[in-house]
Amino acid sequence: MDHDPAPDQDVDPAAVFARVVALRRTAAQQERAGVAAALEQGWTWARIGQALGISGQAAHKKLGPGPGRTRGGRG
Amino acid sequence: MRRARALRDISTMRTLMESAERSARAGGDDLPGPEHLLLAALDLPDGTAAAALGEVGIGRRELEGAVREVHDAALTSIGVDPSSTGSAPPAPRPKVMRSTAPAQEAFNAALHLARTKPRSALVGAHVVAAVAEQQAGTAVRALDHLGVDRDRLVAVALEVAATA
Repeated sequence: MDHDPAPDQDVDPAAVFARVVALRRTAAQQERAGVAAALEQGWTWARIGQALGISGQAAHKKLGPGPGRTRGGRG
Repeated sequence: MRRARALRDISTMRTLMESAERSARAGGDDLPGPEHLLLAALDLPDGTAAAALGEVGIGRRELEGAVREVHDAALTSIGVDPSSTGSAPPAPRPKVMRSTAPAQEAFNAALHLARTKPRSALVGAHVVAAVAEQQAGTAVRALDHLGVDRDRLVAVALEVAATA
């Protein structure tokens, strides 16, 4: 019979969470860099959404240019 | 007098949030966290945040460097080379001012400190004390990385705020 592994007393939760935070901000930066390059290369938001595993609309809402700037078609 | 102080606090809060947001975007973050609030406090014209941090030997450059270093160290510890991720455009400016929940908590704690007797106007040193009192997060790790005794920093910041 399988047992859940005992909690690892050697794990430093603060260090683990610091890695999560660092990875999360790195992921966000990578996402923005990728979107900027994709738009420059004429990608649509639908294609960007597919590549990121979300809808085109969600991609545009999350990563689209701020107010007053428009780039890239939403199709 | 109470009304004048309230108006001044609103102006200080706005300056703090705008500055924290600029700092976050410049650093590649979507939203300001307590570390950006701390950096924003250093920009306030009252000079009390700089005075409090100066008492423990910390300036803007050290703080910015420590924030960068704790992120880089976290990535390096799992084999990610921080220099390999390249640069990214800053996050788009949100339509309304937002911050992370811990930044909001620090902000509220700073306001609470300013409103606790002796009641005073909100100053940068209140923000320093509020952030140094937090238990975890990037700002706390950055201060620890710099070898700051956070209990002492809280005491010094409250003292500076009381005499502002």
